[in-house]
Amino acid sequence: MAVIKEKAEFCTLLVDELYGQLPARVYATLFQRGKLSIRLISQFSKLNARQVKNGLCVLQQHNLLFYTVDANSGEAEYSVNHDYAYNLVRTGKILEMVDNSYGPAGRDVMQNLLLLGQTRISDLVAAYQAKINLANSDDAWLNDKKPELVIKSKAQLNSVLCRLIEAELIDVVHSKTFQSAHEIEKQVHKEVMDFYFPNGIKGTKAKVEFEQKVAEGLRKVREESKTLKRKLAQNGGASKRRKLAVGNETNGVPEEEEDLDPALDPRQVIRINYEKCIVELRSRRLVQYVNETLGETTGYVYGQLLKQLTKNTPRCRPDPLMDTLTPEGEKETPSVTTNEILDKVKTSIDLTLGIGKIPSKAISKSAAERLTPFAPKDKIPFMNQDDSDDDEEDGDYSDSDEEMDTKKENGDASVARMSRPEQLRQHLLLLAEGHPGFVRHCGEDEWTIDFKPLMENLRATELDSIIEQTSGRQGLRLTRILRTKGKLGEQALQSLSLMRKVDLQQKMLEMRLAGFAHTQEVPRDNKADPKKSIFLWYCDTEQAYSGLIAKCYATMVHCLQVLEVRRQKEKDVLSLAKRTNVKGKEKDMMRDESYARFAKFLKDEKLLMAEIMRIDDTLALLQDF
Amino acid sequence: MSGRGARGGRGGRGGGGGFGGGRGGRRAVAANSVPWQMDPTIALDGKPSELFPPYKAIPKAPLLLKKDDRQVSFFLSFREQGHDSPLYTQSRTWATTELTSTSSSLFGSSAKATIDIFEDGVPSYSHKFQQKERTLPDLASRPFAKEFFPGELHSTLDGLDGPSAKRRKITPGTTTQAKTIALSSAEYKSAEDIFGLNPSSAVSAAATQEGEPNYKRALQLLEMVEKKAEDGEDAGILTDDDEDDWVKNNEDEDGNPVAEEDDDFEEDSGDDYNAEQYFDGNQDDDEYDEGGDDGGDYY
Repeated sequence: MAVIKEKAEFCTLLVDELYGQLPARVYATLFQRGKLSIRLISQFSKLNARQVKNGLCVLQQHNLLFYTVDANSGEAEYSVNHDYAYNLVRTGKILEMVDNSYGPAGRDVMQNLLLLGQTRISDLVAAYQAKINLANSDDAWLNDKKPELVIKSKAQLNSVLCRLIEAELIDVVHSKTFQSAHEIEKQVHKEVMDFYFPNGIKGTKAKVEFEQKVAEGLRKVREESKTLKRKLAQNGGASKRRKLAVGNETNGVPEEEEDLDPALDPRQVIRINYEKCIVELRSRRLVQYVNETLGETTGYVYGQLLKQLTKNTPRCRPDPLMDTLTPEGEKETPSVTTNEILDKVKTSIDLTLGIGKIPSKAISKSAAERLTPFAPKDKIPFMNQDDSDDDEEDGDYSDSDEEMDTKKENGDASVARMSRPEQLRQHLLLLAEGHPGFVRHCGEDEWTIDFKPLMENLRATELDSIIEQTSGRQGLRLTRILRTKGKLGEQALQSLSLMRKVDLQQKMLEMRLAGFAHTQEVPRDNKADPKKSIFLWYCDTEQAYSGLIAKCYATMVHCLQVLEVRRQKEKDVLSLAKRTNVKGKEKDMMRDESYARFAKFLKDEKLLMAEIMRIDDTLALLQDF
Repeated sequence: MSGRGARGGRGGRGGGGGFGGGRGGRRAVAANSVPWQMDPTIALDGKPSELFPPYKAIPKAPLLLKKDDRQVSFFLSFREQGHDSPLYTQSRTWATTELTSTSSSLFGSSAKATIDIFEDGVPSYSHKFQQKERTLPDLASRPFAKEFFPGELHSTLDGLDGPSAKRRKITPGTTTQAKTIALSSAEYKSAEDIFGLNPSSAVSAAATQEGEPNYKRALQLLEMVEKKAEDGEDAGILTDDDEDDWVKNNEDEDGNPVAEEDDDFEEDSGDDYNAEQYFDGNQDDDEYDEGGDDGGDYY
């Protein structure tokens, strides 16, 4: 688990920002040195053992560590869980997402879980109970800061928790949660070897079987965190009935319905499941793309489609080991029919909006409604997306041509006179068309999404737009030439691009420095004299991505550092604002000049944070979605 | 005087010789080729050349959308609540990423080298209101799911390594049952403070009209007073603790919020000139004396 330096730095600064400097120092040491025991952490970080222990407790409580306990000595060795640490920056987005789809109550529970780290359900319930009691006590009205209770009763808390668990946004901590993936794999390997292959593995057939057994074992470990969800599903009759009764309404659950939820096992320990949260964030991001490119109504339809398709998607990127070797039945991508989507679309939505009003004679029905029953091949058509894209698709799917045109002609009814399912269908066809491939029309009235090629396409678009922003249209044009032609010498590139030699050299140098173009040196003879060697230009997308990712992390680090410097600069004002007699009434207690500085600082802090979140958007697209 | 004359004479001679030699072509060329000869209206520009040409277009980030704004606010409120939790440690020395051994070995120590004498050297009245910095997290104040921590950390989780370790040893009778309840009230103080602490809302509330919430609050309080009076128990409305809040809240608008704090000092105003006693006399104030170590002032 190698982590690039910029990411390590960013995670450390983030832990510093959120949990204080003591845990951050411990974390930085773990990043630098890898897996360490308390004694060694103390030695390398020059903190005393007491500080290290306290720091480790805080980190562990917030799920930021992996550890393994040595069976003989009882000493534990700790290492970083950098994905969790990085995901802390998405807290704002996750809370906003939960707030949108589960209402303020859901957000409140989620926020407290994030704050508390892993929490036993009974503790959480007791804490909420205490808060409710406090608010309901007789003297509560005298308290000036009367809390607005978001969670009003234990039953409501239970119901919110149930729904979050059903959505997999919360999962259960189990005995293997805090072992790193590598550690778990090693254990499963050993178990499988001992149990099934005591005499060793012989032959290719046994090897395949071994791999399947390992994948199965790993999947079993992974499933352990879903115990609560499974239990809910078992007596899920109640919650289903509730869903049917309430329909799509998310934030208006009537009181009596809450009692239908089964009580959760109070001994279980729960925490946030970031993997699923990222799936939800991806869906929101895709809807945003559609909103921008195709319009809001289509975006809404796409949102409903995504909601149904990703209901059972536990993570954005399937694990290569565990998910490729699944039994054949599960491998098929889920699909949804038009009617299923129609059930979920609210009747208040006017589906006539956002569809073009072209007479149907002008549309080639066979091309618009053609079916593509198979997912595009894994090879991503990055290189030739601009010119040969269409040809290739035709070549790939020509066999499905006879299936087309089975649809009855719908006459030349205008959009308004279409039936509602037909309107919905038009939106879906609109999505299925065009470059990024938001939707695939996989069967008669059946729709699915191939996330991998879709995200790959969006990633390519993102890279292209970044290249255009940094080195202009000429740069983008050169990149595209190089992508289609492969490696080119300068002469050839010049003749292809029809540019002056000076301009070309300058542009290529610029792109080389930005990391979008690369050179390869080919010596003519053994001496490898640079004057005689041939230099070839090429574009390596993967390298460009990793360069971009590093740059993103570095920029985020920079933002946090700027924030820290600003904080030092405004130290006097900030410490004034933190005083207990000033807090809450800054305007009255602070002098105008100080108050102006304080307000300015808060504004800048917000902008810096927003900057970080925006960069995280790009970063998420490049490496997580 | 004579020496000066001699030097001048030598110079004049040499110069004359030079001019004499160049009189033919060179002088004419030189006279015509200097810029001010060719163009008498020229104005010399003595400025140094620009090292950094001006940026043509500085890229500007688009403004925050409503959605961005909400996300950032949620993140910041999450951070503020985190800073209020007992697990947060405020004290810091130098930058974190530069993990020099000296900066770490000084971390959290109250050695003279780490104290800023201009800020903290001399005690002042306003220190009373400053938050006490924690150097270690207050782990004892909340329960943990201990089975997910390695065994060597369990005693730390019980607070035996923590800042309040000493007091805990004196009163060993704290059961886990009692701890749970203490946790909940403490930690939910932090959740309550969302609106008070959230910097964005603080700014916006301050930026818009200030009077309205107070007005509402006053009405609300009046209503409650009347209600209580009807029930015949008006004596208990203003307890000693609440009186502070009540008075402060109403005096906010007068711009005279510290009035009653001054009152405290008029009692021993006879000793005002003796600075040391000025502070000693005030030490019956628990928060200041104990440094709030008992969890009184941080939640």
